[in-house]
Amino acid sequence: MTANSPRVMVELIKVSKTYPPSVHALQDVSLSVRSGEMLFLTGKSGAGKTTLLRLLCRSEVPDKGLVEVAGQDLERISGSGLQQLRRRIGMAYQDFRLLPRHTVAQNIALAMEVAYRKPSFIRKRTRELLERLRLSDKYHTPAGELSRGEQQRIAIARALANRPDLVLADEPTGNLDRETSTLVMELFREHEEQGATLIIATHDRELFDDGGHRVVELRDGRLLAPEDGEDTGSGDASLQSEEADQ
Amino acid sequence: MNFLRAIIGQTLRNLRRTWSSQALTLLTITLSVLIFSFFFLIYINMINAGRHMGDNLRLIVYLDEEPGKPLQDEYRRKILKFDRVERIEFVSSRQAYERFRKQLGHDQDVLEGMPRNFLPPSIEVYPIRSLATLTRIKRFSDYLQTLPGVLKVQYGREWIDRFYSFVKLMRVVVILSGLLLLLTTTFMVAHTIRLTLCSRERELELLRLLGASNQYIRAPFFLEGALQGLVGSICGLAALYVFFDWFRLRFAGTAVLNLFPFTFFPIPVVLTIITAATLLCAGGSFFSTRRITRL
Ligand SMILES: Nc1ncnc2c1ncn2[C@@H]1O[C@H](COP(=O)(O)OP(=O)(O)OP(=O)(O)O)[C@@H](O)[C@H]1O
Ligand SMILES: [Mg+2]
Repeated sequence: MTANSPRVMVELIKVSKTYPPSVHALQDVSLSVRSGEMLFLTGKSGAGKTTLLRLLCRSEVPDKGLVEVAGQDLERISGSGLQQLRRRIGMAYQDFRLLPRHTVAQNIALAMEVAYRKPSFIRKRTRELLERLRLSDKYHTPAGELSRGEQQRIAIARALANRPDLVLADEPTGNLDRETSTLVMELFREHEEQGATLIIATHDRELFDDGGHRVVELRDGRLLAPEDGEDTGSGDASLQSEEADQ
Repeated sequence: MNFLRAIIGQTLRNLRRTWSSQALTLLTITLSVLIFSFFFLIYINMINAGRHMGDNLRLIVYLDEEPGKPLQDEYRRKILKFDRVERIEFVSSRQAYERFRKQLGHDQDVLEGMPRNFLPPSIEVYPIRSLATLTRIKRFSDYLQTLPGVLKVQYGREWIDRFYSFVKLMRVVVILSGLLLLLTTTFMVAHTIRLTLCSRERELELLRLLGASNQYIRAPFFLEGALQGLVGSICGLAALYVFFDWFRLRFAGTAVLNLFPFTFFPIPVVLTIITAATLLCAGGSFFSTRRITRL
């Protein structure tokens, strides 16, 4: 298995997750994501995209199967190991999870503060991200007073703030217009170029239709063979997909 | 360094957000410290006063006849065996007479015609000066009474007894108010922290997801508790000092203050009280956040 090689950022092997009473959110999902790859995860509503992302930052645990992130088995990871790992993961939640009474800047800063970044770095990075996402004038606004689209961009900014190795974006453009979506995608691509691994769950085809990135589809909790035919969801798929993508 | 800065920033934000319950806690701590240190101050001053009065404290043992040198040595040996004393003095009949005569001054003539040995000889025992002596003096006196040839033992029995029982009472009061301090501070601190924990549940959950370490989450609470203990005890002691100062001015020159030198806590005691309160509150908050370290 290539799990411990730094070249594989995410490894899922035959992962199943069932919510009570019997919602099979994920069934036998196997997926391998290279370090530095940008992967799109699509599927109808309720297909299990969010569930898959939540497994990767261990806000959910699978019923069966192996989940490895950055070479670490999430089932066996220690408390402090998980804390360190989570600081290397930036997740933009579908429901944003902003603190409504904190200001926009505080919300973004939180991700960097838990990693004990310097205040000067935090301020600079926050400004930069807000500028990139055209939200500079909202620096001191409480997050709860923003529109959905604005909140979404703050959630993305927070996910990227600490320059994480792994970015998990859950429906990042769900509330955004075309133009703003482009801004977000530009940011993502920039992080990809700088070596980050990104997994973007979306049903917005336009995000990945320009090609060049691997797309996998979930249907009723199962991973489908994607358009180009690689990654059949078996344990060996990781090697195949790696080769196919290079 | 960044860790400290992050923690302090977090703590300040916290305090700003929950200042009303924080203020209530602070008030409770201040009052508890005030009550405790009030009684403690009285207690300490009583001990001082006791020591002061012990300065001219002596037991007078009246004997039925003049002891010769060997008997004197015998007495001395037995007394020293029973307890350490500062000084033992033998006063013969004649010496007692002379002393009495001097005390009378101009009225010496009343002694005329009296035999020179009409006063009994005595041993004057000066115990070591300490409060402990006050408490032991009764036992000492009881023992001396059993020595052969002793007529009577005299000391300021009544006021010593009364003083001693008052000191005992004060000790209980000090201990009780100390317990009160202990209970209220730890309870109030734990209570406010629990409130904060509830009101910040979402935030704490988010911090967990962002990978915050246990220290990052717990340290602000610890700091918060320590800060409350520190500020609360300083306020309480300051309030006591203001009261103390007023009291001293108000009763300056009166008999009470001339008799007892009423003083405030020495600096080390002040520091000890502040440190203890700070540690207490910090500890209380630390233990009440044990729960949140579980994932
Ligand atoms: N906490 C939960 N408890 C019970 N069932 C859940 C829970 N979370 C998700 N589910 C169910 O699991 C299935 C997959 O949900 P998931 O949120 O992963 O879908 P999704 O692909 O993200 O959908 P969407 O595109 O609408 O966000 C759904 O049927 C959903 O109802
Ligand atoms: Mg979803």
